[in-house]
Amino acid sequence: MAASTASTAVSSLCRKSHNLKGFQILNQVCTRMTYSTALSVKTGHSKKGFELGIRGPPSRRPKREGGEPRTEKMAEDQDWSSVYPTAAPFKYSAVPLPVRMGYPVKRGVPPDKRGNLELIKIPNFLHLTPAAIKKHCEALKTFCTDWPQALDSDDKCEEFFPIRVQSSDYVSAGTSLRNPKARVVTLTVKLSSLNLDEHARKKLIKLVGERYSKETDMLTLTTDRCPLRKQNYDYAMYLLTVLYHESWKTEVWENEKTRADMEEYSWEESRSQRNALDTLMRMRGGEGGGVDTGVVRADLLGSAEVQQYRDSVSRIKNEGESESSMLQYRDAVKKLLNLSPCDE
Amino acid sequence: MAVSACFARTLRALSVTLRVSPQVARQLNAGSSYRSGRLPCLTPSACVHTGIIHCTNTPNITVTDEPDALYQTVDVLVKGHDRAVLDSYEFFATLAAQELGIPVRKVSEPKKKIERMTLLKSVHIFKKHRVQYEMRTHYRCIQLAHVTGSTAQAYLEYVQRNLPEGVAMEVTKTELVKIPEHILKPMWDIPPLEEQPSQ
Repeated sequence: MAASTASTAVSSLCRKSHNLKGFQILNQVCTRMTYSTALSVKTGHSKKGFELGIRGPPSRRPKREGGEPRTEKMAEDQDWSSVYPTAAPFKYSAVPLPVRMGYPVKRGVPPDKRGNLELIKIPNFLHLTPAAIKKHCEALKTFCTDWPQALDSDDKCEEFFPIRVQSSDYVSAGTSLRNPKARVVTLTVKLSSLNLDEHARKKLIKLVGERYSKETDMLTLTTDRCPLRKQNYDYAMYLLTVLYHESWKTEVWENEKTRADMEEYSWEESRSQRNALDTLMRMRGGEGGGVDTGVVRADLLGSAEVQQYRDSVSRIKNEGESESSMLQYRDAVKKLLNLSPCDE
Repeated sequence: MAVSACFARTLRALSVTLRVSPQVARQLNAGSSYRSGRLPCLTPSACVHTGIIHCTNTPNITVTDEPDALYQTVDVLVKGHDRAVLDSYEFFATLAAQELGIPVRKVSEPKKKIERMTLLKSVHIFKKHRVQYEMRTHYRCIQLAHVTGSTAQAYLEYVQRNLPEGVAMEVTKTELVKIPEHILKPMWDIPPLEEQPSQ
């Protein structure tokens, strides 16, 4: 009876071993069967329950015992990049570190690495040890080129390559690889590096409007109207070309430029000049009359006080009001009107 | 060795999908023996190879006459939810840059951004009971200076391939461009005009 149950148990074991993938397991089962049949019967039954016998659920496979973890067999000077050549989840049996991770429940310790989901969830960099990075970079060095020696400072870069073109790439996980912000191209150039004369410079600044920054003398063109980055880059270069050539042209209607269109304040032929000269003429006119007014005006214009007054007024109008410019204006007016300087 | 072969095989195909600068000074032609049907499909997500590649001949590198692009700065900004992951990634990226001979100008950590939302706890009614969530995004910025086009392409592809899951990257490149020939001189014949006084 024992023999018959043993044989049927062994045969059922044999049937199951066909389902198992792996030749070794089949071998193991056979060796177990060869050497100690009695033992195998016992192990087979202990899992299912002796009273059930062979009528236990056939889907339950006998549980294999795992061997010792790979960490026990690792040498200390092994090549780690062959254990983790690429990004792989954390395998506790393959990482010989006593890592603990997790919340210490009831004032205990963080859980062990065996069966620790937290260690599997977090991205690990086990495939990117410094040795592995050095190996990768050695292989990548053949695809790299050197920076030219002559361009070691920013000034030299500015001198030979005045135009800067900025563009962005985006990498993220999602349903699509593409990012619509990747087509934007920004072109910046200093106007001093372009071949422009005074009229062309002023006309270009008027044409671009807000895209020019006076403090840094930079023109910034941002293009995103085309769907591809290359198209936007070509469009930006085209815009720069057109602006440049158009600013050198002088149209017929440009000679109707009024005082309100001027970029800078100029003192000649302005109200300030007229007022100053009239005041001075009246001051002088009291002293001696009958002199030709044109000559007097020319003399006055050439005098040092009037020059100083002109400089101070131009400075205030162009640069704005500040402490030093107001003081300069005060001194110039005092000198002009011959007021005695009060010592403070 | 296997890694270099993997790069060699898919570098050109990935340059399109990763939107790298089109001026390539070094193209590479992998041996025709690799172009078999058993190669993984060419999308970045599926490019972690699991098989062993038996490569005996090194890929041919061709040098073209097209001038290499010059980047004054390459800013790599990585964003993630976990600061420790970004720390490790920063170590990896800076070490890779040093090994490849790229000068790292600055490594900075912009301030994290927290997006908070307050939602109703229940599906229906119970307006007084809400639940609050927040999403924290940490940043790390690595600025590289004076990189050539082919070096940038190789470095960025390497660094992007090893981007961990849950981390996003933005790369901003500032390219140096010469003034094109057609902007050097005006194309009209300008008669020498005297400066008109302000009228």
